[in-house]
Amino acid sequence: MNVTDKKNAKILVFSTEKISDPAIDMAGLLKLHYPAKVYAIAIPCSSAVKSQWIMHAYEKGFDGVFIAADGSDCPYDETCTEKTGRIVSKTQELMKQKNMDPARLRMAAICSVCSEAFVKQIKSFNEYLIKSA
Amino acid sequence: MSKKIGVYICSCGGNISDYVDVEKVKAAIETEENVAFSKTAMFACSDASQKEMEKDIQENNLDDVIVASCSPKLHLTTFRAVTVRAGLNKFSYYHANIREQVSWAHSDDKSGATENAIHVVKAAIAKMRHAKPLDPIIIRSKKAVAVIGAGVSGMRAAIGLAKMECEVYLIERNHFIGGHTAQWEELFPSEETGRDIITRLYQELLRYKNIKLYTGARIVENSGHIGNFILKVKIDPLFVHENPDISEVEKAIAVCPVTVPDAFNFNLTERKAIYRNHPGEFPERTVVDVQHCTRCGECIKVCKSIDFSKEETSLELQVGSILFATGFDPYTPGENEFGYGQIPNVITLPQFMRLIALNDKRLIVNGKDIKKIAYIYCVGSRQPDGDLKYCSRYCCTAAIHASIRARKKYQNISNFHFTRGVRTYGKQEVYYNESLRAGDVFLQSFDHELPVVYEKENRTFVKINDILTEQKELVLEADLVVLVTSMVPRTDQSTASLFKLPKGRDNFLKEVHMKLRPVETVIDGITIAGTCQGPMNITESVSSSLSAAVKAYSYVSKGEIELEPIVASINKNICTWCNACYEACPFDAINKVDEISKSYAVINNSICKGCGMCLPVCPYDAIELITYSNREIEEMIDMLSKD
Amino acid sequence: MHEARSEVEFDALVVGGGIAGCEAALNIANNGYTVLLVEKDLSIGGKMILLSKVFPTLDCGACITTPKVSEIARHTRITILTGSEVGSISESDNHRFKAGIVKHPRYVVDEDCTGCQLCEEACPVNVSDQYQFHLVGRKAAYIPFSIASPRIAAIDMENCTLCGACEKVCPTKCIDFTQEEEHWTVSVKTVVIATGFELFDPLGMPRYGFGLYKNVITSMQMERQLAPTRPFHTVLRPGDGKMPDRIAYVLCTGSRDTSVGNPICSQICCMYSIKQAQLLMGALPMADVTIYYIDIRAFGKGFNEFYEQALGMGVNFVKGKIGKIIEKDNGNLLLRYEDVSTGKLHEAEHDLVVLSVGVLPNKSMQSVFQDLSLLEDTYHFIKQDDPILNPARTSIEGVFVAGTATGPMDIPDSILSAGTASAEAISHIIQSQ
Repeated sequence: MNVTDKKNAKILVFSTEKISDPAIDMAGLLKLHYPAKVYAIAIPCSSAVKSQWIMHAYEKGFDGVFIAADGSDCPYDETCTEKTGRIVSKTQELMKQKNMDPARLRMAAICSVCSEAFVKQIKSFNEYLIKSA
Repeated sequence: MSKKIGVYICSCGGNISDYVDVEKVKAAIETEENVAFSKTAMFACSDASQKEMEKDIQENNLDDVIVASCSPKLHLTTFRAVTVRAGLNKFSYYHANIREQVSWAHSDDKSGATENAIHVVKAAIAKMRHAKPLDPIIIRSKKAVAVIGAGVSGMRAAIGLAKMECEVYLIERNHFIGGHTAQWEELFPSEETGRDIITRLYQELLRYKNIKLYTGARIVENSGHIGNFILKVKIDPLFVHENPDISEVEKAIAVCPVTVPDAFNFNLTERKAIYRNHPGEFPERTVVDVQHCTRCGECIKVCKSIDFSKEETSLELQVGSILFATGFDPYTPGENEFGYGQIPNVITLPQFMRLIALNDKRLIVNGKDIKKIAYIYCVGSRQPDGDLKYCSRYCCTAAIHASIRARKKYQNISNFHFTRGVRTYGKQEVYYNESLRAGDVFLQSFDHELPVVYEKENRTFVKINDILTEQKELVLEADLVVLVTSMVPRTDQSTASLFKLPKGRDNFLKEVHMKLRPVETVIDGITIAGTCQGPMNITESVSSSLSAAVKAYSYVSKGEIELEPIVASINKNICTWCNACYEACPFDAINKVDEISKSYAVINNSICKGCGMCLPVCPYDAIELITYSNREIEEMIDMLSKD
Repeated sequence: MHEARSEVEFDALVVGGGIAGCEAALNIANNGYTVLLVEKDLSIGGKMILLSKVFPTLDCGACITTPKVSEIARHTRITILTGSEVGSISESDNHRFKAGIVKHPRYVVDEDCTGCQLCEEACPVNVSDQYQFHLVGRKAAYIPFSIASPRIAAIDMENCTLCGACEKVCPTKCIDFTQEEEHWTVSVKTVVIATGFELFDPLGMPRYGFGLYKNVITSMQMERQLAPTRPFHTVLRPGDGKMPDRIAYVLCTGSRDTSVGNPICSQICCMYSIKQAQLLMGALPMADVTIYYIDIRAFGKGFNEFYEQALGMGVNFVKGKIGKIIEKDNGNLLLRYEDVSTGKLHEAEHDLVVLSVGVLPNKSMQSVFQDLSLLEDTYHFIKQDDPILNPARTSIEGVFVAGTATGPMDIPDSILSAGTASAEAISHIIQSQ
C-alpha cells in the first residue's frame, strides 16, 4: 500500500451534490478537522459511481475510497442505498480477485447535515488505512 | 487549437488565504497544460472582480474558466453568469471548492491545506480540458395545468391559474367538490362557514370558461413529462340524470333499502345508497353510491331519471404541469385509544364539529344533554414512536375555536382542555385568551404520562397528572370526551404513486426544499399544495395553493421550458438491450428502440434527471453521464492521486 | 444635484427587499413582468440575510438568501433601489398607481465602488454597528456587512466628520459628499407590500435589565454571534468577553404580554431559540442552556421533531415565566421565576441571558397611501381583506401584501405568502391589460 506519510492516508471520497457534499462543506464550516489527503469528487447520486472509477483510484495510488451515500435522503429514488450497496459489493468482489483488502472501500450514508458523522467515519477510515499499510 | 483555460484563486478575504498559500497554488498550476491565464483575487465574487473577469475572458480569448473559491452551492451560478456575460457557454465554467473542503477543513494543517488546494485545482483543470459547450434542452410546454383534488386548495389554485389565463383541468375523485372544508361551520379568523367558502369558490369557478371540472374522475395513466404530461382520466358514470324530477328523486331516496353511515357527518348519521349533496357540496345533484348499491331496482320503479346502463368513460388530457392538492385524512383513533369505539360518548374533533352543526338548541349525545366537555389534545400526533411524531399544527386552535362555539351556542357548557402545551401560534393566541377569559379550564399532561379515559358505572371519567397544578392527579367526570385528532396523509396514495412523488418522514408529500422550493417536487413540472404536503389550516392551504399556482404558471407561461442538459447518454453501438438500465432508472426515462438488426436503449432527455443510476449497472459500460464521463472522472482521479 | 427623474413605468412595485419581497419580485419577473424593488436599508436580504442557521433544517440562512439576492441583482427585469423609501402612492389613470420614491444619498457612486474597503480602513470615526446589533463597532465609511448586496460602501453622514480621509484613499474616486436626495416618480400596475416586521425592543421591559446589565442580550445579538459572518470567532458575553457556560433564554419577551401591549404570539421565537440552543451546544460543548417558556410552539413541518432533538441533546426546558432579573457583582444574572410544575418561586444563576424578543408591526406604510385607505388590523399589521380565500389582498384593489407585514410568520410561511402575493399581482397585471 502507498501510504506516503504516517498520518494521512490518501482517500478519495465520492460525495453527492445535493446531500453528502453539503455535509462535507459543513464539516469545514464548523472547522471539524480531518486528514488533509482527503479529496472529494461530487456526483449527482452515489448510485452513479462506476466500479471502474474506484478501481482506477487504487491503481493510481489512492489508499482508500469512501462513498458518502445519499441514504434515505436521496432526492432521486429510495432505492439509492440499495443500489449503492450493490456497487460496493460488486467492487469488493473485484478487489478480492486482485488480492486487495476489500475494507479499503467503505460506504456510509451521510445526510446533508451529517458533518460530524462524516468526520468520524473519515478519521476511523484513515486510521484503519494507516494501520493496515 | 488547444484550449485556453483561465484560473482564478480566491482568497475569500482571508477565509482561504489565512490557511492556503494562494500564491503558491497559482505558481503550481500556471504551468499546467492549457492554462493560459491565472490570477489571485481577494473576493472573486465581488462585482469588481466579476467585471474584471469578463474583461480577462474577452481580452485573453479564454475558452474555459475555473474559479477556486468557496463551495459551488454558493457561487457556481454567480460565475456561470459571468462567463455567459463574457460570451461563453455556462458549461465552460467549473467551480473548485478550496474553502469549505480545504482551507476550513484543514485550518489546522496549513501546508497540507495548500497541497490539497493545488491538487483540487489541477483536477479541475483536467476536467475542463474535456468541457464542451452545452445547450439547454428546450421542450415545448402546453399552457394548461391539471389540478388534482377540488377541495379548498385545488379550487383556489384553479381559479388563480384561470386568472393568469391558463387552461385548467380540475380533477376531483368524488362526485362532489369542496373537500373537508365543506364540512365545517364557522372558521377562524373570519367566522365565515366552510359552506360559504366553498359556495363562493364554486360560483367563481363557474365564471371561468378556461376551467374544466371533472368529478368522479381519477388519473389512471401518465405517459408524459414536464411541458407535456399526457394523462388518461377515467370518469365514473352518474346513474342519475343531471336535471331529474326532484319529487321522483326524493321518492327514490325514500324507497332505497340500503342505509350506510354518512361520511360527510363522520358517521354520526346515516344516508341511503342513493343520496343528494349536502349544502356546501357541489354540483347540486343526486348520485348513487355504487359501492353499497345492491342494484335491487326499487329506485328505478319510482324515478325515471335513474339509468344503471351508463358506463365509465375515459378521456385524455395534455397539460404542461400538474398541481397536486389531494388533501388529508382526519386521524381515526385506534380501538380503545382514549376509549374510542368502546365508550359511546368519546368522539373525535371532526365529529364534534359536525355535532355542533347538526344540533341547534341543545347539544345531545346518546340522548344525554351535554354540559361538561373534556378535550384530549394531540390524539394521533406528537407520538413518541411510529409515524405520527409530528405536531398537526391546526388542531389546538381548531379545538379551542370549536369549544368557544359550543359555549356560545348552548347553555351551561363547561370546557376542560387536556393539553400537551397549547400551540395557538401567532394571532390565533386571541382564541386561547378568549377561552381562558370565558372560564375554560386548561390542564397539561406530561409527555410520558398521557391522560386516561375510563368508564365506571356508565359514567365517563378523565384522569390526568397535571403539570400545572403541582402534579396532582385530577379526575374529571365528563359528559362528552372530544379527541382532538390530527391530520394524517391520505390512505389512498395511488395518484401520487403513479407520478412517483416522494414522501417525507411524516409520509406527507415532500417538497424539494422548505425554503428554496417549497411547493415543487423532485418530479419536474409537478407542484404540491395544501394539506397533501402536511398539516395546515385553510388560510395556510390557500397560501400554499397560490404559491403552487404561480410556480405551475411559470412552467407553462412561456410556451417552452429550458432543462439542464446534464443527462445520461447511451452508446447504441455497444448497447445490446439487456434491460438493466431500464430497471435501474427511477423515472422511466429509458426507452427501447427495436431495429431490424438489433435492439438498444435510448434516453428520453426531457425525463432524464441526470442521477446516473443507470451508469454502473450497464454490463458493457455503454452509458455515460454528460460532464461526468469516464475520461473526466478518471483524469481528475489521476491528478488527485499525484504525490 | 439630481433633478426629479421623469416618470418611469414598471408592471409591479415591490416595497421591501427582505426574503418575502425578493421572492415576490423574482416570481413576478420570472413570468415576464418588470419590477421595481425598493428597500429602505443599504442592502437587500432583510433580516434573513443576517441570520445564522435556520430551523428546522439547520441550513445556513445566508446560503439560502444569497443565491436569491444575487439572482435578483442580476435580473434584467428587476430594478433595485436600496437606501430608498416609498414616500407616497396614489391612484392614477388607467388602473395604475403613481409612486413617489426618495433615494437617500449614499455619498458613494454606486457604479464606481468596488467594495475594496480602503475607505473603511482609513476612516477614523468609530460608531456602533447596527448590522451586528451593536455588539461591535464600525466606521462612518463602511460596507454594511460582508455579504451585503450591493456590496458597496456608504458614508454615515450623521457620524462623518468630513475629514476627507476616505476620499484620499479611494482608488476609484467614488466618494461624493455632494450627493443629494434623488426623487423618482414611477407608474405601476400593482403594488406588493413586503415591509416585514420590527423586533420588540426590550428597553421597554426594565425588569429584565436590558441595556443596564451587559450580559443580557437579545436573540438577534446571539444570532449574529452564531452566524458565519459573525463578529467574534466564538460566542462571548459582552460584559467581560468570557465564554458563557450557563446560558438562559427568556421566551415571550414582548409577546403574549398585555403589559407591553402585545397579546399575540410571535410564532418564531420558540423555534429560533431552540435552534440557537442547538447551535450553542455545538459551539460551546460544555455550556448548559436553559429555555424558560410558557408553551413551546413547535407547530410547523419538522418543528416538533426539532424540539424533541433539542430535548435529546440536553437543552433544559423550564416551564416558567421570568419575573425579574438581577445582576450580580461578577456580571452573572439571577433569574427569579415561578416554576409552573411546582408552583414555587425559584432563583437561578446564569452568566448570559438571551431575551427571545417578539415580532411587532412595521408601521412605515401607514402614511404612504394618499386618497386610498390601507386598513390595519387590531395589532397594526396590514389587514388581510379576505383572510381565508385571498390572504394577500389588502383593503386596496391591486395592492397586495406578502410576508410578515400581515403578522408574525416564519421563513417558509413568508415565502409561501410571497408566492400568493405574486400570483395575485400577476393576475392583476393580466386582468388590467
